[in-house]
Amino acid sequence: MLRNADARWKGTALDGSGVLSVESGTLKDTPYSFKTRFGDVQGTNPEELLAAAHAACFTMALSFALVNRGCQPATIDTKAKLRMEQLSTHWTITSIHLETKARVPGLDAGAFARIAEETKANCPVSRVLNATVTVAAELLP
Amino acid sequence: MKRKASARWQGTAKEGGGTLSTQSGVLNDTPYSFVARFGDAKGTNPEELVAAAHAGCFTMALSFMLNGAGFTADALDSEATLTMDQVNGNWTVTGVHLTTRGRVPGIDAAKFAEIASNAKANCPISRLLNATITLDAALVS
Repeated sequence: MLRNADARWKGTALDGSGVLSVESGTLKDTPYSFKTRFGDVQGTNPEELLAAAHAACFTMALSFALVNRGCQPATIDTKAKLRMEQLSTHWTITSIHLETKARVPGLDAGAFARIAEETKANCPVSRVLNATVTVAAELLP
Repeated sequence: MKRKASARWQGTAKEGGGTLSTQSGVLNDTPYSFVARFGDAKGTNPEELVAAAHAGCFTMALSFMLNGAGFTADALDSEATLTMDQVNGNWTVTGVHLTTRGRVPGIDAAKFAEIASNAKANCPISRLLNATITLDAALVS
């Protein structure tokens, strides 16, 4: 499977800006810049897209893992919190913390925590990341 | 720096569906699903978002490194193509191929190739990914 995205940049890094597009059209000439990445200007940045990819991948994988265990998940809500810091002057993505909350009729909290932990280790986006990935899983009544 | 995104899933993995949101609002209850990911249904998927993050990161890094060497790009156009394959039965992101075309006054092809190769090796998303990253960089007039 191949997936494509495009970035176009004009001008200098600090004062110029770019646009991002993806195959599905979900991003279409969507602006990004130094200030939307490292400052507080409204706009997207690579890190939040990566966090979205991870939240999406983990959540779909968790749904599969629950169905394989004979469960019917009603809802799964996951937040991905990515941390990027300067390590010896290089900006480095050091960790992603996943917080997932699910309503799954008939499942106990211990089993849910184990399945969430396995999913965290095995979903495709987790496996492609050189970063510490942690998960906090909560089963809702 | 912290960047956040969230996913919400309802129903089973194959028939259900999810939505994605990011801090900036660029993704705002944006739909994704099994069929948008592995089939041809309209909607985003984690892999194109990783590709967008990588295209965005690489292109901004290239702009910075060109500025650092005394050049300013009129335009940098990059594309990231992500490959996901089944490896021992597990869907695995195996590589990202970056293509970039630059319009950069005053630079020669060899210098541009050198700087692009440096951006490929050192941008934060490249360093994050456990996957083979390849690059095709050229100047356009």
